[in-house]
Amino acid sequence: MSSTEGPRTPGDIIDSLVGIAADSPLQAIRALRSDVVQHTQGSYQALLMPAAPGDLSLIERAQAALRSAALTPSVTLIAHYRARLTQLGESAAAIDQIEKFTDSTAVAPRTAAILHHVELLITAPKTATPAHLQKVQQQGVSVPAVVALSQLIAFVSYQARVVVALQLLEEK
Amino acid sequence: MSNEIAFTMESLGWAAWLETLDLADATPEQIAVLEESTPTAKNSPYYLLLVQDVDALRERSRLYNAIMYGKRGLRRADRELGAVVTSRVNGCVYCASVHVQRFAQLTKQPEIMQRILDEGVETELDAHSRAIVDYAVKLTRTPHLMTKADLQPLRALGLDDGEIFDLANAVAMFAWANRLMLTLGEPVHQS
Repeated sequence: MSSTEGPRTPGDIIDSLVGIAADSPLQAIRALRSDVVQHTQGSYQALLMPAAPGDLSLIERAQAALRSAALTPSVTLIAHYRARLTQLGESAAAIDQIEKFTDSTAVAPRTAAILHHVELLITAPKTATPAHLQKVQQQGVSVPAVVALSQLIAFVSYQARVVVALQLLEEK
Repeated sequence: MSNEIAFTMESLGWAAWLETLDLADATPEQIAVLEESTPTAKNSPYYLLLVQDVDALRERSRLYNAIMYGKRGLRRADRELGAVVTSRVNGCVYCASVHVQRFAQLTKQPEIMQRILDEGVETELDAHSRAIVDYAVKLTRTPHLMTKADLQPLRALGLDDGEIFDLANAVAMFAWANRLMLTLGEPVHQS
């Protein structure tokens, strides 16, 4: 399959989140698995900052990622996706509402539907039914966008575990 | 769902809850991504659903293949064990059915898999499997509660940091895969 050794992606998100220094042992371990590094970064870019976001905006993507991080929970990723939303122009108060999501009437119905779907995927994926997908679709989210949303939430679930695993290995 | 299928070593199918791409309407790019994802992707509702975000699927498939089949580090059977344990904890009957078979093919030890399916991750295991399973279970259930102490049983087996990273990647990959399989469709008996 695609296990060829490509050039290492310099300064990828995981290195920066974990604080992996150039020429450190952990950097060498990742460099030996350059395909894993490259496509972790590629997945992040395809889901969080796609060139054509389609029917799921960059802000909605970052909101879903932040709430995924909050529920996992991953302190490192909460900080990262808060910063991403700030960069996209969201206010601290608006970002708080997404992270905590204590009042579903305080956000737009479409945002609430997206965040409820995040909660399903992160905390209780086994309880999912077709009706859960319909609730998201009823807010005007197309099938390709539901696919993107699901991939994105599931990706954050992956990313949080990779970050934790590397943080423990880094902590000698 | 009603009529829920129990954990099994038999081959299962999977049915999508959303509209999948009709292969006749696929772009050349979508065909190429399906073909590099897995040999059966063009007939798989799962891949025909995911290919509707073609860039995300291309990256995810390349990542999956690198993590599960990359020729270095942790032995493949241990990556499959990580995949099975994660799927067992998350309740993904379909994913578990695929990866118990892969583990059994690699190790000729189907009985370990049958016990994990029947009795769960607490079933009695040899020391090697137990260390892998405990790490995978904790990283799946409570990643935020993991500490350096959780690495000790793996290091006692002789795993180096690269091999521990390979195991973590397999577990993390199935945190991802299980969530898609569980929330976009359901396992079905093959006709």
